Amino acid sequence: MNRGAGRPNHQRVSAPSQTQVLVTLHINGETQSVAVSSQATLLEALRDGLGLTGTKQGCDKGDCGACTVLARPLDENAARASGSSSRGEPILSCITLAQDAQGLALTTIEGLAGAQGLDSIQRAFADCGALQCGFCQPGMMLSARALLDSNPQPSLPQIQAALSGNLCRCTGYTKIYEAVQVAAGMRMPSHARPVRSEPAPGVDGPRVEVKEIAT
Amino acid sequence: MSNTNGYRWHDPIHAPGGVGARIPKSDGAAKADGSGIFTDDLSFPRMLHAKLLRSPHAHARIRSIDTSKAEALPGVIATLIGSEMPARYGVIPWTHDEQALATDHVRFVGDEVACVAAVDERTAEAALRLIEVDYEVLPALLSPQDALAHPEIKVNERAKVGNITKHVSLSFGDVDGALSAATARSHHTYEYAGNTHAAIEPHCAVARADADGNLTVWSSTQIPHYVHRELSRVLGLAPARIRVIQPLLGGAFGGKSDPFSLEFCVAKLALKTGRPVKLLFTREEVFYSHRGRHPMTMDVQVALDADGRIAAVDNKILIDGGAYASFGLVTAYYSGQLLTGPYRFGSYRFDSTRVYTNKPPCGPKRGHGSVQPRFAFEVALDEAAAQLELDPIEVRRRNFIGENVDTVNGQRITSNGFLKCLELVESASGWKERHGRMGRGRGLGVAGSMYISGTAYPVYPNEMPQSGVLVKLDRSGRVAIFSGASDIGQGVNTLLCQIASEELGCDPRDVTVVASDTDLTPVDLGAYSSRVTFMTGTAAREACGKLRTQLKLAAADKLGCAADQVEIELGTIRSAADAAKNASFMQACQWAEAREGRPLAETGGYRTKDIGEGKLGGEYRGGTIGASPAYSFTAHIAEVEVDEETGLWRCTNVWAAHDCGKALNPTLVEGQIEGSVYMGVAEAQLEEMSYTASGQHRGPSLLDYRIPTSLDTPLIGASIVESGDPNGPYGAKEAGEGPLHAAIPAIANALFDACGIRVRELPFTPAKVLALIRARDEAQRGAAC
Amino acid sequence: MLTLPMLAVHQPKSVDEAVALLRDIPGARLLAGGTDIVPNLKYGMYETGNLVALRGISRELRYIREEESELRIGAMCSVDQLANHARVIELFPSLADAASQIAGPQLRRMGTVGGNLCLDTRCVYINQSHFWRSALGYCLKKDGTVCHVVKGGQRCVAAASNDTAPILVALGAMVRLVSPRGERIIPLDDFYIADGVKNTQLARDELLVEARIPLAAARLRQAYGKLRLRQAIDFPALNFGVTISVEEQKVAALRLCVGALAARPALVRHVDELRGRPVSTPEEIRALGQELGLRAQRQCKPLTNIGVDPEWRREILPVLVRRGVERALLS
Repeated sequence: MNRGAGRPNHQRVSAPSQTQVLVTLHINGETQSVAVSSQATLLEALRDGLGLTGTKQGCDKGDCGACTVLARPLDENAARASGSSSRGEPILSCITLAQDAQGLALTTIEGLAGAQGLDSIQRAFADCGALQCGFCQPGMMLSARALLDSNPQPSLPQIQAALSGNLCRCTGYTKIYEAVQVAAGMRMPSHARPVRSEPAPGVDGPRVEVKEIAT
Repeated sequence: MSNTNGYRWHDPIHAPGGVGARIPKSDGAAKADGSGIFTDDLSFPRMLHAKLLRSPHAHARIRSIDTSKAEALPGVIATLIGSEMPARYGVIPWTHDEQALATDHVRFVGDEVACVAAVDERTAEAALRLIEVDYEVLPALLSPQDALAHPEIKVNERAKVGNITKHVSLSFGDVDGALSAATARSHHTYEYAGNTHAAIEPHCAVARADADGNLTVWSSTQIPHYVHRELSRVLGLAPARIRVIQPLLGGAFGGKSDPFSLEFCVAKLALKTGRPVKLLFTREEVFYSHRGRHPMTMDVQVALDADGRIAAVDNKILIDGGAYASFGLVTAYYSGQLLTGPYRFGSYRFDSTRVYTNKPPCGPKRGHGSVQPRFAFEVALDEAAAQLELDPIEVRRRNFIGENVDTVNGQRITSNGFLKCLELVESASGWKERHGRMGRGRGLGVAGSMYISGTAYPVYPNEMPQSGVLVKLDRSGRVAIFSGASDIGQGVNTLLCQIASEELGCDPRDVTVVASDTDLTPVDLGAYSSRVTFMTGTAAREACGKLRTQLKLAAADKLGCAADQVEIELGTIRSAADAAKNASFMQACQWAEAREGRPLAETGGYRTKDIGEGKLGGEYRGGTIGASPAYSFTAHIAEVEVDEETGLWRCTNVWAAHDCGKALNPTLVEGQIEGSVYMGVAEAQLEEMSYTASGQHRGPSLLDYRIPTSLDTPLIGASIVESGDPNGPYGAKEAGEGPLHAAIPAIANALFDACGIRVRELPFTPAKVLALIRARDEAQRGAAC
Repeated sequence: MLTLPMLAVHQPKSVDEAVALLRDIPGARLLAGGTDIVPNLKYGMYETGNLVALRGISRELRYIREEESELRIGAMCSVDQLANHARVIELFPSLADAASQIAGPQLRRMGTVGGNLCLDTRCVYINQSHFWRSALGYCLKKDGTVCHVVKGGQRCVAAASNDTAPILVALGAMVRLVSPRGERIIPLDDFYIADGVKNTQLARDELLVEARIPLAAARLRQAYGKLRLRQAIDFPALNFGVTISVEEQKVAALRLCVGALAARPALVRHVDELRGRPVSTPEEIRALGQELGLRAQRQCKPLTNIGVDPEWRREILPVLVRRGVERALLS
């Protein structure tokens, strides 16, 4: 392949400027000010500035959904006008600038559980085995929470559509659908069903357990 | 009330659960509320951030590296080049062909050349652009065919002959005779494209050196023990001075089972600077680290006799290895050795060659080495069976190898629930009513497979245990399990809690698992080759079993009955004869501690030589590679819909049944089956590591390398078959890798049912499918004339 | 982490302030939803040190209303709002369909209508990290002198990849552009130019504030089509908008605009010859669709700028177009 006569790649490098700015963020019901570099993303402000490491970085450019947080306009009127649900809509913190997030009320995974313990979506994800490695799940659970806030009884296609911006590499999404349905009170977790055991081979053929998918 | 939609704490599922219970994962809550700590979540005062400079050339000599300008940049604390730690390493002791940073030779676009530690990532990134490297560009060999044709150009000096990493040729029985005598035959070439793990967590490592000269490395690895060994070798530091800790791991799938440059670099930089150092890969760098599925070109012959029995299988395999060996020596063997079940082969031959090329190194991806030949074989089997007008399920049933039997290449199969797997997917999918009758563009396909439950032997020969577990009981009733095994999301820590509960009667929530910390936990070789449930589970069962005896002896004294009359169940210990004579688990622990006169702690270990008949594998060179203490079996049926005008297709359903021996936790086993099916479908449909003519990855991002979203993933019906393996813990075998294999050929065979085309090249892009449909129409027109 | 260049973020409170900032700060770029510019900045595709963030004026520009026989869509409407707006779905279902197929749920909440119309062109050789592009030797769009898509090419052919543009062009939409010098309203079709380096005629100090669709266009039979390999997150591998005016069961007018080819969405030419074609039966509709599809195929040349087999994309274009025509006329 013909290599173009590009500029040498070190010509335009100088010591990076570290201009700090103080941003005021509204996170999980609290207002916090944090000094970040002027170009910091919301993800950096959350993880490095505020120690809220529950929000994950998977691709750092808006492709995977691991950094999802919920956001709604801070201004309640604007929130109503935009039809935001209670905690707002899922957005990607890795491509949101911290400075530009100051007008938003944000919910991260740390803000989902309350004094009552885990949010139903968190409880259901844990109970249903929807968490394997757990890395995509904070973002996934927030997308699911936003779905249930606006649509308390979603159909399977609606769940699939709502979670289609959160890539999961472990679960094949199957138990995630189950968890969302369980959190919505639409079904019980498969844990509730007893494990059906049949005799081992040599006695009476292999033991079998069959599981179906609710649609 | 809390912010719920009607779902509340659901009590029954939180009841204590031993083996076979569907208890939630032990780390589920920490992963659910965001408090779980992954490697990149670690931060230390004065921590530096490191970045790697990578080769822009697919193949070049390094004439010189000048880091002086980078070092002069304010904020840069240290730089690092290869000559500072030139020792070669590699996960397999016989193929040490990597360096943490290249000293004089770069072998692919993205190969690591230098490293910078600075006060933050931005400064480190800026400094990389100030490092001047003088390269002498060499011709790049980008395909295995080119690499074989040009032995004079050495991709990797470790290759003894040309660019060959490993060549294996094995033959069992009279293959040529059987081929010529066969009634039905399929002979075609298959192409399996490379693809990668794409765990959502990018690789990350953090290192800290203390004032006493001890080094701690936290890494997103699935093999802390091998990382420990290689760090010691490369850094020249006594292993007793090094501690490797694996925090929570955000997915691995084999992509984190090699030692990587980042671990050596953070360690060396921490030693150099006296400050903690973190290095987090960008997503692009994850693609360069790769170690994913090997591209394979397979020339496959399958021959059946008149009864539809497999008379001969012959496979000539060319493997594109990329720039380094990784597990490649094993890959070359696995590509042939693991095909010989669940069917009986009359004769078998394979000839496998793994070749170095100037691309990111391939390695072990879920179903290491055997996914590719399994695809080719299961398609060829379907095709040959069709010549005999045999139903695809029937031909598989007819060739079932059975239980307690040796394969043609001398692997010992113990339990085997494959027939039950076939039966389950046959009925779940409505095969009998639907196969062959679904109309144009819709179809069903079936495939089976087999996989290992751990390799028989460690990668470096030794007599020590392959897994070790230490269990401690406290007088508070708390149980602590120290295990070197890596929980990579599959849930081994949860299984350990369940095994403790099963043996000791404790509540699994009262178990602390201290895992994968080389200072604190007994050695476990790591989460690879589907070895963890089998081997770590066996070790844990042994340790817990010893403690169980101690509890029983102490309880017998206090309850006034014989030890063999003591029953342990769900939080209580009691006399079998008189249930009124009972005590809590905590009380029993105190009795036992008093009786023993020392703290309660026991260990357990696993060695293959201690189980069954001891030695495994065939009596020939390489016969132990692919030998496993037990094999898992899988059957899949896939359903597809094809748009014949465009070639666009989707897999709508997969029914998968997997024989895991015994589901220690059925929810976790289902999760492994579902995740495996998803990953197999992804390989069939979307994923491919594709390179430009100059050897650059075409799209090292999660936008361009398309992994399936929820909308691209079929509905998955997972079924568990429990064949009860005689050697597995409670009968358990593996579940994490086997269920991937059959998805791909099942889809290929479904595409045949849907439109009469045989796809032999992965991924089955719509362009390829459309071309095959056009060719089919052309052939039909020709036949009509 | 992918490092962003040093940036000052300016937060105007009105459109006038925003365009004044654009005028006064050389090289300043607009930040709306951030879904396009932030990844591109992380990849080092722009030299800017200044962003003019529009979130502060989103109320001024976040509306969908009917006015003077037009549907007017404020540039700061999210594409998710567009996809789910009851009036849009009723009047211009093809547009709602296009918006609903953009990227994924989060990106649709963030991404704006103005941002989608001004989406930078995309190419497999440009939407890459600085390291990747340096290893390639750069390209025409940024830092280089060579086109890797068209051998010897002197003009960048990075692909217009907006989902809303082809259907809005087919609907005859206009855009309102505001600058300190005043405003202008131009057809969206004229807004785009065939240069992948910058494919709009937006001036440096100009802001696209509104898209306008004549309400009369609601009578057009219409469809949007998108080809993608993955059902979410993906940019189009091919897309098109088709509108057909039917009078007395015959084609009175027809527009087909195809995107994801080269630098601008392209109207297929010589379609006037299809006027008068009968479309009263499914067979006639199919025949029209086939004819239009073949014309599109002759005029459209998919390139390797998009990482999906160009030969295949070209081959199936007629099928996709025919189905679009069928969706438009049979629904």
